[in-house]
Amino acid sequence: MKKVTDSKFRRYLGWFFKLSLVGVVVLAVLMAYLDAKVRDKFEGKRWALPAKVFARPMELYSGLALKPKYLIQELEQIGYGRVPSVQTPGQYMVDGNEMDIYRRYVRLYDGEEQAARIHLRFDNNTVSGLWVDGVPTDIARLEPLLIGGIYPKHNEDRQLIKLEDAPKLLIDTLVAVEDRDFYDHWGISPKGIARALMVNMQKGGLVQGGSTLTQQLVKNFFLTRERSLQRKAVEALMSILVELHYDKDEILETYLNEVYLGQSGRRAIHGFGLASQFYFGKHIRNLNPPEMATLVGMVKGPSVYNPKRKPENAIARRNIVLGVMREQSLITPYEYKTWNKRDINVVEYSQYQRIEYPAFLDLVRRQLRRDYKEQDLTTEGLRIYTSLNPIIQRSAEQAIKKRLDNIERDFNLEKNGLQGAMVVASTESGEVEALVGDRNPRYFGFNRALDANRSIGSLAKPAVYLTALRDSRYHFITPLDDAPIKVAGANGNVWEPKNYDHESHGIVPLYQAMARSLNQATARLGLQIGLSNVVKTLKDLGVERDLPAYPSIVLGAFELSPFEVAQMYQTIAASGFQTPLKAIRAVSTAEGKLLSRYGFNVTQSIKTEPAYLIQKAMQQVVKIGTGRFLNSQFDETLNLAGKTGTSDSQRDSWFTGFSGDKLAVVWVGRDDNKTMPITGAGGALRIWAHTFKDLPLKPLYPLPSENIIERWVNVNGNAITDASCEGAQLMPFIKGQEPLQTTDCSQPEIAQKPWWSRIFN
Amino acid sequence: MKVLLKLVIVVSVFSLLSACSVQRHQSVDQIQANKSSGFSMLPSWYHPDLGLQLLGDNEYPEQTALASLLQKADRAFLLNELQSCQILLERAQRISTRDPGVYVRLSYLSWLDGNLNKAEQMARRAFALVASDQYANIEVRRLLTAIQANQY
Repeated sequence: MKKVTDSKFRRYLGWFFKLSLVGVVVLAVLMAYLDAKVRDKFEGKRWALPAKVFARPMELYSGLALKPKYLIQELEQIGYGRVPSVQTPGQYMVDGNEMDIYRRYVRLYDGEEQAARIHLRFDNNTVSGLWVDGVPTDIARLEPLLIGGIYPKHNEDRQLIKLEDAPKLLIDTLVAVEDRDFYDHWGISPKGIARALMVNMQKGGLVQGGSTLTQQLVKNFFLTRERSLQRKAVEALMSILVELHYDKDEILETYLNEVYLGQSGRRAIHGFGLASQFYFGKHIRNLNPPEMATLVGMVKGPSVYNPKRKPENAIARRNIVLGVMREQSLITPYEYKTWNKRDINVVEYSQYQRIEYPAFLDLVRRQLRRDYKEQDLTTEGLRIYTSLNPIIQRSAEQAIKKRLDNIERDFNLEKNGLQGAMVVASTESGEVEALVGDRNPRYFGFNRALDANRSIGSLAKPAVYLTALRDSRYHFITPLDDAPIKVAGANGNVWEPKNYDHESHGIVPLYQAMARSLNQATARLGLQIGLSNVVKTLKDLGVERDLPAYPSIVLGAFELSPFEVAQMYQTIAASGFQTPLKAIRAVSTAEGKLLSRYGFNVTQSIKTEPAYLIQKAMQQVVKIGTGRFLNSQFDETLNLAGKTGTSDSQRDSWFTGFSGDKLAVVWVGRDDNKTMPITGAGGALRIWAHTFKDLPLKPLYPLPSENIIERWVNVNGNAITDASCEGAQLMPFIKGQEPLQTTDCSQPEIAQKPWWSRIFN
Repeated sequence: MKVLLKLVIVVSVFSLLSACSVQRHQSVDQIQANKSSGFSMLPSWYHPDLGLQLLGDNEYPEQTALASLLQKADRAFLLNELQSCQILLERAQRISTRDPGVYVRLSYLSWLDGNLNKAEQMARRAFALVASDQYANIEVRRLLTAIQANQY
């Protein structure tokens, strides 16, 4: 009997031994797998860091035209606080026409700007004096506004910090609240689990977790949020492995950067570094104890204790944390009492708050894709410096919204049926300073500034007139016949363009035909000079699309996006020098090493003489033609130039205009391409005017060359005349291309008033 | 051989200008020690009125911000920090879009970089801006001709 029992026991023991052996092997394999996983993550790149995109840094200097309200607007946007007297970086004060700004330290792609006190004096909305740290200075820069990021699919954002950046009090508080045995355990804390069990049993529910900081980190880093025993076991094993390989400081630093601390739209705020900036507009070093308590309190529930969305919850939680701090002697009872009553004081708008410029960011992204892989943009923490001017951008957004609302109200149109887009660029540098792709500028979607291909209508006319002015047979006052015209097409169709007023205007000087946007005269001119020559001019102006040389091209029966139109007119605005429009100045690594620069490039594609004349003709559009609304809105000495455009059946309203320094193209239309009750002058032109009404513009002086001469002419007689003759006008010509005839003061045409005088009093 | 020739020209221009100069930037001493500096790449017919005010400050424009950036750009050029020089010139261009001196300097930089086409385009831009100034007109035309012939 005993023998049988012994053999059974031995058999069980054998099985137990074999099973244990298998268990040990499985555990060893699992541990090896988990170990590899832990080391791979910790020793590789721990986080995907989104690229940060910045606007242009504002340059301040004597002579800069700048209304103080716009400087204040920008300072508020970059998170500066207005105070009675500046004490620390990130503050500003206004005193009459003087201003003090305590600039923060800023690192840019071309160097650093140290924290400094900038003093400014204004006279007549112009900076008249500039001092940095009390010393008169020629030029100073502010930090640029963060305008967004290029995020990975999971939309995580963080600003990495080193452990030494975090105040000791913050770390002590975090450890006290989340894991008191952090410095004593090996990844899991039996004491912590027991304590949590006790508390939970006392309270009758899940009040306290027993997870250590290491376990929390492992859960966030490697595992799902699933609540199961299996996941808990893996979490415990991995925590032990993490502790085996890495010291406490490294684990803590990783935790500080990993922890999830709330949401801003689609963007997930991770880490104490970004959270400090996002909630309090401060670097983590500058947090005060109640702010630290607020952030530490959020770890338990970033949504429930979000100080922006649920301030009452956040205050209650902060006070609990302050209680722990007092209990652990991290703060005094008096401090606890004082801080307990404080408001939460989160910043409404900090530069780390997401200010979205989706259309502009779309352009940045497209231009970056030429040189960078998408993965690099979303993981390497690159810093992208752009040319966006937040002041112009805001003005453009407001102008579009206001004008479209007004049109819909005035014409009883359905609400939000109209759409708009705008591109603003520097005439000389080709830098895009503002871009609007939707009447709702925060909308992430179809970017009309880049992708709306619309018929450009009369915006094509300057290319036709420029083609003529490049041809020695034509000059500024060449008589053109604005008479009905019919052109037979290859398929039997007849093209018969009409003027907007359905009238014919007879013989009209060239520059007036353009100023009045006469279709018949333009069509005749286009056919005379040759369609292929018009297409060549369009190409020289920067249009890259293939354009078929059919007659209606001269009246803009082809499609371009507002951005392409801006490129075309940039060449005209820069006197024939084409500069590819660009939104990016430079890209640097997260550490500030310059990776690539997008410098200034220029190619002369149109001679300066015809470019001079076409600018003069476009100034006439604003002075006497379809763009004259601008004359009532702007100082005449600005000499603005422009061109209205209305496509067939008023489906598109366009205006492009430029001063000496800014070019802007505006488009208004409907996405379903239905007709509208407005022309280019009624829609787009007014948006242009509203955008720039309050902004400083430089006057436009077309660049004269030695080959440009001015002559007194009898415009209607197409002849040189004497300055003393009544009605004689001084007109520009290319040397050798001026009118051949001369006339004296007896010619009847000379006495005629110009057409605009006859029409408009 | 070409580089050597350039170096010889530069050193002689530099010595001549050094001798004539009254006021010096601090960086000049550093330059003297550095024979392969950007300064050493200037053509023999270089004229200070066209830009790159190497040793004096009498020819800078009146606008202080622009003058300050141009001085810094010139100093960077002397130290052979051509990228910094270019960045400073582009800042200057944003402030004063029609200053021919900016484009002349950008032209030199492109030339030094071996990009003759870009150098010519920058010089053309400068030329368009100085058309009404007879003296400057002649100087920029000379620059253009030299670039077109690639004559240092």
